[in-house]
Order: sequence, then C-alpha cells, then structure tokens
Amino acid sequence: MEAKYEFEKKYREQILKCSRCGFCQAVCPVYGATLRPALNARGKMLLLKEVMDGKIELNDELTETLFQCTTCASCFENCPSGVDVPEIIKEARKDMVKAGSCHPAFAGMNEVLKKHTNIYAEDEPEDFERERNKQAEYVYFIGCVGSYREDESTMATLDLLDRLKVDYTLIDEVCCSGVLEDVGYEINENLAMKNIDLILKTGAKTVITGCPYCSRTFNNKPQYARLKEKGIKIIHITQFLQDFDFNVKTDKRVTYHDPCDLGRHCGIYEEPRNTIRKIAPNFVEMPDNRENALCCGAGGGVRGGYAKNSIAMARRRLEQAEEVGAEIVLTECNSCVHNLANAKLRKQKFKIYNTTQFINELMEETE
Amino acid sequence: MEIEGYNMPDELYYEENHFWVKEEGDLLIIGMDDFAQVMAGEIVYVQLPDDGKKLKLGKKFAKIESGKWLGKVYAPVNGELATVNEELETNPGLINDDCYGKGWMYKIRPDDKGEIENLMRGKEAVEKWLLAEIEKYAEE
Repeated sequence: MEAKYEFEKKYREQILKCSRCGFCQAVCPVYGATLRPALNARGKMLLLKEVMDGKIELNDELTETLFQCTTCASCFENCPSGVDVPEIIKEARKDMVKAGSCHPAFAGMNEVLKKHTNIYAEDEPEDFERERNKQAEYVYFIGCVGSYREDESTMATLDLLDRLKVDYTLIDEVCCSGVLEDVGYEINENLAMKNIDLILKTGAKTVITGCPYCSRTFNNKPQYARLKEKGIKIIHITQFLQDFDFNVKTDKRVTYHDPCDLGRHCGIYEEPRNTIRKIAPNFVEMPDNRENALCCGAGGGVRGGYAKNSIAMARRRLEQAEEVGAEIVLTECNSCVHNLANAKLRKQKFKIYNTTQFINELMEETE
Repeated sequence: MEIEGYNMPDELYYEENHFWVKEEGDLLIIGMDDFAQVMAGEIVYVQLPDDGKKLKLGKKFAKIESGKWLGKVYAPVNGELATVNEELETNPGLINDDCYGKGWMYKIRPDDKGEIENLMRGKEAVEKWLLAEIEKYAEE
C-alpha cells in the first residue's frame, strides 16, 4: 500500500524502529512538565504508527500532541534505536498543515510573515541607536526575539561589540523564517531573499548571529545557500567571542544553560564555556548539561502555542540552577533568556543573562 | 458601566494604556482593564518587580505578555512599588478571569496621591476615550 503522507515515505523505517523503551520519556521536557505519555516521543511515534496503519487520521485531534514538541532533540540524543524524532515530527506537521490541521498560533504566524517582517507583527523596529546597512567586516544579525522581546540584551551585545572595536553593521533585517519549517510550513522565500541581498550589499564576509536558530537556518537551509556560494561565513556570537580576552572577572557563582539550537543541534558546547571560564572562576555546571541539558521549553513553536507548559518547562530548568546555588545563569539564546526570565520566581534571586550582556555589564562596572 | 460590551467600573480611574487605578488607604492599586485583557487574550506572564522599586510617572516599570502580545506597564503616578500580586506569578490568567478583583497587579505608594486626579474618571470621559480606542483597534 502506498504511503499516504510524506512523513511515512521518509521516515517509516525509523518510526518502526522505536522499541517503546521509554528512554525518551525520562528526558522529554514536555513530558516532564505535563506527565502525559502521549506527549513524549514514544507516544508520538506510537500515534504516527497508528496513522501509518490506517487506524487513525492526521487531523485536529492530533494537533495538541504533534505540535507540542520543542524539537529539543533530547529524545534523539538518548534513543538507543537512533530515531530522529524532531525531523519526523517536523515532517508530520507539514503533512498535517497540508491536510488542513494546524495549531492556530502557527497558521497565524505563517500569515503574519506574509505581511510583516517579524513573527510578532511589530511594525516599529527598535533602531538600537546605530546606523544600518553600512559597509563593514561583519554583519550582526539580531533575530526576532532579540529585536522585539530581549532588546535590552541586544543593546548590551552591541555595546560589547563596540567596546571590542568590532567593525560590524546591522541591516534592515527581516525574520529568517526558519521557524516556519518547524511548525508545518516552508521558509518564506521573499524574506530569505531580502536578508541575503542586504547582507551581500554590506560587503561583509562573516555574519554573526545573536540567535542560534537564525545561525542554523542560514547555514543549513537551501533558501540561504547563496550566502555560502558567495563565500559568506555564518557564526553564532559565542563562536566569535571565544577568541577575545575581556580582562574582567566576577566572583559570583555562575552556571550555563545550553540552548538546544546551539548544543544538541550544532554541537557547540565548549565555546561558551571557554568564554565563561575566563570571566567566572566560580563556574558550576547544572546536573543536566551539554548534550543532556534540559530544554527551556521555548523551541519548536511551543512558547507561542502552549505558553503555560513552556514556562512550566523553564521552571524545571531553573530548579537546577537553584540546586547548584547559582547567582548568575548565563545562556546564548534570546528565546532561552526570555522564557527563563519569564519563568523565574520572585524568591529565586539569581539573574539570567545572555553571556554578552553579562560581560558588557562587568566591563561597564570597571570603567 | 458597560461600554460596547466592556465592563468599565465607574468608580475607577483609568490611564491611557488601559490600566485602572483605585485608592486603598495610602496606597493605589493598579490592574489591567477589561478592554485590554480581551484584546490581549490569555495572559501568560506578568513581570513582578521587587518591592520598593522607584516609579516615575509615565515611565515603564514592568512587562506583561500574552501569547501574541507584549505590553508595557507605565507608572500612573510618581512613587514606589509597595507590593505586587504574587498569585500572578503562577496564575497570570487571573487577569483574564477577574481583572478588577483577584487579577489586580500592583500596589503603589504614591509620592503625591493628588496626581491620581490627572487620570480619566467618570462616565463621560471614559466612554469617549474607550469608544475611540475601540475604533482605533478595529482599524488595525
């Protein structure tokens, strides 16, 4: 019988490899926050098997399950059978959208990006008090969350780049639209072309992104291949900063939260730690770190579609920061900063920063 | 009073970003009005700054967020934050459920309580303002 859906054509063998062992359940942030087995990877693979067997349809009844995954890849990391659950989920979401079933938040996001330049439909971008679209060695690409939700952190990052005398420019950037691929749609080609054209006009040879997801999108998606063809290198700010000496130190107890998009999805674990160790001798790891880091709950569209559960996941992560007695929680992703900061309880006295913002603050204090 | 289906109690003061203000002894209580909570949809986060934070009239002192919207809360008077509704930390949806009661947000100790008189109050003023707001947001 011919497969009805794309996810089956591409991933049938993988789905059948799921041995239902439940290793994924132990590490799934959605399960951890909700304790609902249908929401972990095993539950999702079982449901997709039922779809492949023709017992159930991909329809609205599966929206809550299949669209409630942060695509953090903890399950994939821990799966003895090597089932690439995030990729399977993303493909199944595309099938669902084709079949007319989608979480309204994501259908809305796709529509927003047809009319607006960012996922929040904000029409007045922060100018960050800097000239844009200049000729420069580097382009600094902020990303939607850094532009419209964590603008103070972005301002601090730009101040840090200025302190380090980096020759960079901002551009009139638009959403990279990579997130659409996660929630059942395709990258918006118009937005991609606009970003590419603006980057090329600056003459920059390297794009530094503030957002790990933008970095992944530019590096891996065919719609952005023109950047690589033109010899443009794309790096995340944590990769850029590791070669600098900042000549500042803190005696505070500092921990680091690995963003899934930087860690499990790109294998970047040591660069941020190299930088943090230079400035924070009193560095301490949380119990789950590097490839085992607990997701903050913001990814895969979950913050937009299931905000309460998303914040509940971030609270679980912050319990670990509390457990190790951290005074400062650093990370390298504006979505993580945003969700963790939203989740922080008043009784939790630690502070949450992007590493750049924290370093900038230390440098500011010594001036 | 009810204006186009929105509940806007007569006895409250309103500031232009849709936060209501009420006197309580030496303090002022602030919350979000019915129009704003309907427009915002389900509130998922309310920033609850530390007690004692200095507030400057018209300046942002907190953020509030629904799934689709990020709002800023501006100080309606000069003063300092006396206390916050800690229930909102784990249950921000109280704003949607009961914006004038259990969903109150902050209590402020004003430098000069008289500044409250610069806010809108009374059927005529509130109705004129809200109808214009309804029209403005309908256009958007």
